[in-house]
Amino acid sequence: MTARHNAGINRREFLTQLAMLGTLAASYPASALVKLRTGKGAAAIPEWAGKDPWLTLAAVQEQMFPAGNGTPGASDIQAIVYLRNTLENPAADGEDREFVFNGVGWLNDLTQEHSGKPFIGLGEAQRETLLRQIEQSNAGQNWLSLLLTYLLEALLADPVYGGNPEGIGWRWLEHQPGFPRPPADRTWYRLGKPVYYRRKA
Amino acid sequence: MDKDYDVCVIGSGAGGGPVALTLAEAGYSVVVLEKGPWLTEQDFYKDELACCRRSVYTPDLEDEQHVIENLYDGDWVGEATSESGWDFWNGNCVGGSSNFMSGFFYRLKPEDFRLLSEFGPIEGANVADWPIAYDDLEPWYTLVEKEVGISGRFVDHPFAEPRSTPDFPMPPTHEHPVVAQIDNACRKQGLHPLPTPRAILSGTKDERGGCAYSGYCGSYGCSTGAKGSSRAALLNRAVATGRCEIRAHAKVHKLISDTSGNVLAAHYFDADDRTQVVDAKIFVVACQAIETSRLLLSSSGPKHAQGLGNNKGQVGKNLLFSAGGSGTGDLEYAGMSDDNAAALKQRGPFVNRGLQDWYYIDDKAFGGRAKGGTVDFLLRHPNPIGKAMSEKWGEDDQLVWGRPLQQRLKSLFTDAQYLRYEIFCDWLPTDNCSVSLDTGIRDKWNTPVAKVRIGYHEHDLKVGRYINERARKVLEAMGAKNIHSGISGSPPQNLVAGGCRFGDDPATSVLNADCRAHDVENLYVTDGSFMPTGGSVPYTWTIYANAFRVADRIRSSL
Repeated sequence: MTARHNAGINRREFLTQLAMLGTLAASYPASALVKLRTGKGAAAIPEWAGKDPWLTLAAVQEQMFPAGNGTPGASDIQAIVYLRNTLENPAADGEDREFVFNGVGWLNDLTQEHSGKPFIGLGEAQRETLLRQIEQSNAGQNWLSLLLTYLLEALLADPVYGGNPEGIGWRWLEHQPGFPRPPADRTWYRLGKPVYYRRKA
Repeated sequence: MDKDYDVCVIGSGAGGGPVALTLAEAGYSVVVLEKGPWLTEQDFYKDELACCRRSVYTPDLEDEQHVIENLYDGDWVGEATSESGWDFWNGNCVGGSSNFMSGFFYRLKPEDFRLLSEFGPIEGANVADWPIAYDDLEPWYTLVEKEVGISGRFVDHPFAEPRSTPDFPMPPTHEHPVVAQIDNACRKQGLHPLPTPRAILSGTKDERGGCAYSGYCGSYGCSTGAKGSSRAALLNRAVATGRCEIRAHAKVHKLISDTSGNVLAAHYFDADDRTQVVDAKIFVVACQAIETSRLLLSSSGPKHAQGLGNNKGQVGKNLLFSAGGSGTGDLEYAGMSDDNAAALKQRGPFVNRGLQDWYYIDDKAFGGRAKGGTVDFLLRHPNPIGKAMSEKWGEDDQLVWGRPLQQRLKSLFTDAQYLRYEIFCDWLPTDNCSVSLDTGIRDKWNTPVAKVRIGYHEHDLKVGRYINERARKVLEAMGAKNIHSGISGSPPQNLVAGGCRFGDDPATSVLNADCRAHDVENLYVTDGSFMPTGGSVPYTWTIYANAFRVADRIRSSL
């Protein structure tokens, strides 16, 4: 299904099937809550990324694509920069933007309800548990799936779009990109009107 | 009365380009109306977002869409493509979808022109002979080799069609090292691996550069002009005559006809959605099969109450796709020498190999002599995002992320080369595959969209399975692992023809043998719509050849 179908989803639907979350906060000690991924990428993080929705989104991205030895993580591939470029682009699908942002609100409401903290206040294990829990609702799964899509685009789209700096994603996967590569004045949104989520090739 | 132009061509793809070039070179004034933008080599980059994920080359489905009718529990149920996301557009820009083809070109064979007489009727299928023979089209196939630029190397084989020249005008493009393995495996099984002709220049030609071997060809616009798109190969030359004008962003929505039944004018919406009018002596429609039928059905007039050329109710009938399926196998690098693995990892040269050993089937187990099809070998499409996207779903429709996702990606991208084959069979014409106007859904200009019924004939699957059993063995002989294959009745939306079949009988066809509408003196159709049966190869070479043939007829009539 296309992402545009997600725009009409409301908080209630997002929270459907999430009743089992009631015991989440009790399952994990407070000492394990905060384990943000900082480090080498921290200095490069722009100011806007320190505020929501980007702060939460970056945390979700890092959970879904963690940095490891020899493995680029979400911060390495500038996934949050790519996501912002994509969602804030005037030619972009406004419904995706709305859905992604709404999801951040729902996610943080949920963690606040159960643990008294925002998502970024949770530890890695709790984040994982929480994301797996929200995946149980259709809307939650769609939201995570959309973020994964943008993560993979950040990893493998041309660096001109803000992710995959210096082709790090391509190099990690030994992928040979095509040529000529798009210059900044010939990015897709400068060529015409977009169609979202075609499944060709 | 003076007309604006001698000829108005609607659509600028493989059906429109030959007409525009031929008539402009002959001294006539031509206008080409193209719905999409005029993009050039300077706009085409190897950008997966542009070509395949945001796609600037086709409309937003909210603005312009189709309704696809499929059979559910015995009922035909229509679904809007803005809901399903199933995109039936193939390239709306100057040059049309020929900009984005992989240039995999085959001619039809003599028997394809007389399928009914050759193989007999099939119950539930509207098989018909063509009103022309292979010999009528052969000179035009040869002309296309030269005009569009087809590179290749002729190799004789049991089912080879006759040629009037010994070989192609240009040697083949460079070949991928996997070709040696394919050849070897095929020959061991007594098969005849054929070099695939390509509408891709292996060297420079006039203003066009040769192939740069980027490795990103199909789905992408060509940055050097090597790909034989209608735009690069024909329209640029037509414009250079000074007698051909191309109007981009010109969406023709109605042809106006007079009381004699002939076309007076084309009405189109310009980039600002204003209606514009063009009149001409001759009108040529080439919007690709679905939209061509839609335009004729939308163009009722005093003598054409049910749409232009549709007094016998034939417009939109017998739409064709291409039947068949595909298979894939993993050529794993583990166990290979480093050199062999490195050779296999190459991206750039073409896997120019096909098989036509089963173009005709003569097998008692199958049920006697029948029409078969073509097998084409290729590497998995190189688009990395498209490839990676398949890894985000795991068992039981659960998402995969974190380390498991990263491990899956690493393995997918670095463990093997993926060799595919595609099977092309006739999509039998039936009453269940057709175009009509949808009564509910309209496009952004408030005109009815095309409703496409996509039923297939069971016989198509039988042929596909027969070939698939045999094609799989080539992958097996190559030592491929994890072989998957499937035959499907789902239509490939990029391989579409029919809907305005040509024939001698006006009661069962829309066009005459010259591809002129039976009851409209100045209306021709030159895209793939004319084909009564599709053959078992991609349509583009045949569309080009026929459009050159019809252009010659139009020239004679002017």
